[in-house]
Amino acid sequence: MVMTDGVHGPVLGPVEMLVINVVLITFCFFLLCRPTHSAKREILVLTSITAVAAASRILLEPFPNVQPLTVMCLVMGASLGARRGMAFAVIATMLSNAVLSHGWWTLFQATGWAAVAFAGSRLNLVSQNEVAMKRLIITAIFASVLFDWWVSLSIYTAGMTIGEFGIYLLNGLPFDALHAIASIASAVWIAPWLANLLHEETADLSEPIASGESDVITA
Amino acid sequence: MKRLIVAFCLLSCMLLPISVADEHSSNYWEIDLDNGYISTKPIIVDNQVIVRTSGFWTGEDRPHVYAFDLDTGQENWRFKNAASTNHDMSPLMHVEAGTGACGNWSEMVIIGWTDGKVTALDIEDGSLTWSSQTEVVTWGITGAMALDGDSVVVPTRQGLSRFCLSDGTENLRVDLPQLGWRNGVTVTNDSYLIGNEEGIVNIVSKSGNVTNISFGDGMIRHAPIQTNAGIIVHLQKSDGSEIYLDDQLLSEEGYSPAIPLQNGDDIFFATSSHVIWWKCESNCTFQARTNFHSNGEITLQTNQNSTSIWYPRNTPEGGWATGLPGQELEMYTTSHDTYTTAGVAFGTNGEMAFGNDAGILMVVLDSSERPQIIDGSEEFESESEDSSFQVGPEHFVLVALIVAMIVFQYRKDSAMVKKLGVLLVLVISIMALPSISEVWSKEVDQLTESPGDWDDDWPDEWQGTQVVVFELPSGEVAIGGLEGHENVDQLTEAAALQLDIQIEKEMYSLGEMIVSFNGQELDGWEFTIDGERSQVGISSAEVGEASVVRWSPA
Repeated sequence: MVMTDGVHGPVLGPVEMLVINVVLITFCFFLLCRPTHSAKREILVLTSITAVAAASRILLEPFPNVQPLTVMCLVMGASLGARRGMAFAVIATMLSNAVLSHGWWTLFQATGWAAVAFAGSRLNLVSQNEVAMKRLIITAIFASVLFDWWVSLSIYTAGMTIGEFGIYLLNGLPFDALHAIASIASAVWIAPWLANLLHEETADLSEPIASGESDVITA
Repeated sequence: MKRLIVAFCLLSCMLLPISVADEHSSNYWEIDLDNGYISTKPIIVDNQVIVRTSGFWTGEDRPHVYAFDLDTGQENWRFKNAASTNHDMSPLMHVEAGTGACGNWSEMVIIGWTDGKVTALDIEDGSLTWSSQTEVVTWGITGAMALDGDSVVVPTRQGLSRFCLSDGTENLRVDLPQLGWRNGVTVTNDSYLIGNEEGIVNIVSKSGNVTNISFGDGMIRHAPIQTNAGIIVHLQKSDGSEIYLDDQLLSEEGYSPAIPLQNGDDIFFATSSHVIWWKCESNCTFQARTNFHSNGEITLQTNQNSTSIWYPRNTPEGGWATGLPGQELEMYTTSHDTYTTAGVAFGTNGEMAFGNDAGILMVVLDSSERPQIIDGSEEFESESEDSSFQVGPEHFVLVALIVAMIVFQYRKDSAMVKKLGVLLVLVISIMALPSISEVWSKEVDQLTESPGDWDDDWPDEWQGTQVVVFELPSGEVAIGGLEGHENVDQLTEAAALQLDIQIEKEMYSLGEMIVSFNGQELDGWEFTIDGERSQVGISSAEVGEASVVRWSPA
């Protein structure tokens, strides 16, 4: 365990933090702000699951690198599509980091999980409400390790050599392995439930809703 | 009348003792010497307790020797060595009055110093009886001296000197090629035995001829032990320690060996992992081993019908354990417990004197009433190999998962069994992560070469010792010359104590973390060892004998 704060890279000033926040929120805005039917329902579902995801990170904080959010991003991307999946990833990261600690690393975590959600949307992990479990587990393992390495880039500073960074990654391998195992557990326990919930809550969103004038036939 | 009162007050002030014990009851007193560590055991002689401190090394502060009245705790005398160059740790030696070929001497206490001096002080008033000088190679005298008839034999930094007790005249000097540290000397019928930092025991005949035995790559930091079976040493190595009987390896042991104790045929050892008992008659046989962390002076308490062995615990919890290895050890704790290497002193009437790295001397006058030393929370804990396993909540979770798997297997619900199985693997992985991570990190560390963190402006005396640097907002402060600390936690505590820096820690799931120095949290604090960031926590990050630990704001 690294026993000190500040291990995720440079400490940012208020202006730099503001820039990161603006970038991430703008990113979410563009992902979510599009014509949609039944916006209220969709927002409610997305908000609820995002809150649960953020809470899970906070609750599981004592366990190093146990991150169910990785699998949730995959399933959200697979169920709701890339845009909403990526928005979910960014908002959940920002919300949870508001409690856990916010900084330069938030940018890497948010983009990392957004990339995971994007991958989920392209890999046919969920069909209707059925999870392709083997495919999801394999994807989750790779996504967990790649996510960790991506986030590790946040500590890469100008004075650091490639060799030193390699040693840093090597040191983190047990933590990467734990992330992968936690993702398998999340895939087994959470993914079917989440996929089913999303299917039930969003199934009717895709049905066309009558609009415009209609003739009323009266007897 | 007014003048009389003023005169009376002034006279009263003059008659007040220089220092009086802070706390006193009919059976117990203590005093905060506020002068560094007590690293070596006090001695109780007649009605006095005599103790030495290492000094804080800030400003004019230097190591002292103090004598207190055993019953009242009132200070009788003190002796300061302003020329001492490092933390002093050579055990005090009491010498009875006597007569020999080289003259007569009164009762005295002999002290070895890191500036190479040997001083003999009158035990009644602390006045200097004689003083002699030995060589200094960064350090002077750090090991235990020994009496040989009318002389005292002194293990010096690079050899051995013998002085007449009556006037300190040197009557034997032997230069040796190797450097020694805490390398006490043993007197046998015809020779002196002395170890060194190169794993060699030199056998010096009383006429000065030298032969030696090499025990291998390691350091001998105690007086070699002469038994009927041969010479025993506990060799300190970079990857643990080894106990030898002559050239025969008896056992491999843990890190940082304590100073072993011989009591007849019984030899008691200790390391950061165990206290160990061997019996050496014509051969040495292993007796027992118990889990405990002791690196300092093992001491013997002799009662009327039995003997008891005491081990100082060199962990933040501190305290002393008593008992035989292989049996349940009884813990003796105080309200001032911290890292401890000093042994316990025992008086002839059941008195006991304790000192530790907090620099507080605690004296119990009647050892049958031990609890008086305990500060409200008496705690006798036993540690042995059998009790090293402690049940935690995670074990209940494991058992619950296994039971659930069995139940679902019985119900032929294989899907749920698999799901529970995955959860079981996750729980086991979380439990095992700290250990795996630590081992893995050590393996990875071997791939890298430490960049080093030595500052040429530091004193040469700090070379080869442990150094700690604090990059505080008010400026950088550094302290060197530290020795014997095993991890960053211990070393930082020791350095902060000397520099009077307050540390605040918090406990996290994977260990302790320092959150502030002198109340300043900033954005967190991080440390490097020899210029390299550690991947493990402060209590797991091991340091070498020449490590530089640097704390800086994150």
